[in-house]
Amino acid sequence: MSLNTMASIIEGRRSQPHQLIEVLQDVQEQQGYISEDSMRVISKDLGVPPMEVFRVASFYKAFSLKPRGKNVITVCMGTACHVRGAKLIINQAVGQLKVQPGEVTEDGLFTIDQVNCLGACALGPVVTENGKCHNHMNSSKLRKLIKSLKNTGTEETAND
Amino acid sequence: MLQYINLKIDGVNIRAAKGTTVLDAAFEYGICIPNLCHVPNLSNIGACRICIVEQIVNGRSKVTTSCTLLVQEGMIIKSNTDKIRNLRRNIAELLVAQAPNSKAIQDIAVRCGVKKVRYPFRNEKCVLCGRCVRACTELFRAKAIGFVGRGKNRHIDSPFGVLSEFCKRCGACIDLCPMTITPCSGPMKPGKERLCGECESQLYLSDKTPDHCVWCELGKGFQCGRY
Ligand code: SF4
Ligand code: FES
Ligand code: FES
Repeated sequence: MSLNTMASIIEGRRSQPHQLIEVLQDVQEQQGYISEDSMRVISKDLGVPPMEVFRVASFYKAFSLKPRGKNVITVCMGTACHVRGAKLIINQAVGQLKVQPGEVTEDGLFTIDQVNCLGACALGPVVTENGKCHNHMNSSKLRKLIKSLKNTGTEETAND
Repeated sequence: MLQYINLKIDGVNIRAAKGTTVLDAAFEYGICIPNLCHVPNLSNIGACRICIVEQIVNGRSKVTTSCTLLVQEGMIIKSNTDKIRNLRRNIAELLVAQAPNSKAIQDIAVRCGVKKVRYPFRNEKCVLCGRCVRACTELFRAKAIGFVGRGKNRHIDSPFGVLSEFCKRCGACIDLCPMTITPCSGPMKPGKERLCGECESQLYLSDKTPDHCVWCELGKGFQCGRY
């Protein structure tokens, strides 16, 4: 499947080096991360040296070079959230999911991520889950959030 | 046809071809501006900040890196004022703290008048000067190595961490790297880093006679001729 999606992403943008970032964005969106293989394909098809693709992909935080869980839990570590105990929240998340930030849980469901301010400081500590914002986080709210995400995850796989 | 531009560096009237950098123009006239990341005939990225100079614009001074500053008509540049020397000393100090195991950097620090290092030694293997990357990209057109990551994770790597098929094994990256020559007394062990300063006696002369240039003599340690 991944090769098909790659082909459809690159379709119509062959040999257009300036499309590099757009292509990377699409790959990130569709596959959740940018694998070495897809970077090699991109490099070949767009005519950009592999080093350039790797450099750009590793530079932007929006691109992840490692596989990510289905749910990305992003904890804000910005100043305001830090003051309001973001450290505790991230420790909680790490403890509950048993993964380090940036890694994927064994069941492939979760990744914990950190950012430095989401621009909603008054609502801190802020956690976003797949782009959805949760304000004034505390450990029980976090536990509920993770639980509900786990449940939807298993339901979906049951339906599949 | 070449167009020429007149400017003043340290009070010297200088005529330089349009498009040259202030650093190159100064070299041509024997004015030494310390530099690290500059490599002749390669692009300049202003990574090391050692080559800073003061540019006087409308009576106000502006500090910029001379390697990225192109000559302009009527420009007034000062490369050796107290302000610049202070700033430069601090930059050199930071560089030694970052990479004490480079003779090139130790030499530059001595030349810039660093007497002690007030920052914790990091003992990194790279100062991100980008000389290797530019040689690989511009001179050999290989793009076998490059910058990866950003911020404090920025480092030099080959694509995907494996030796690139485009690498011609020319070794230019190693030749140009300031980290490949260790201080005379050998590499420093972690925890034992210090400011080398063993060439300082040579600087005695420059203290006594301020116009006496020691750059070239000390520069041999970095094998400037090797570029
Ligand atoms: S590897 Fe050497 S030449 Fe390349 S950026 Fe680092 S210090 Fe500079
Ligand atoms: S510090 Fe967390 S949203 Fe700004
Ligand atoms: S030589 Fe100009 S910044 Fe390094």
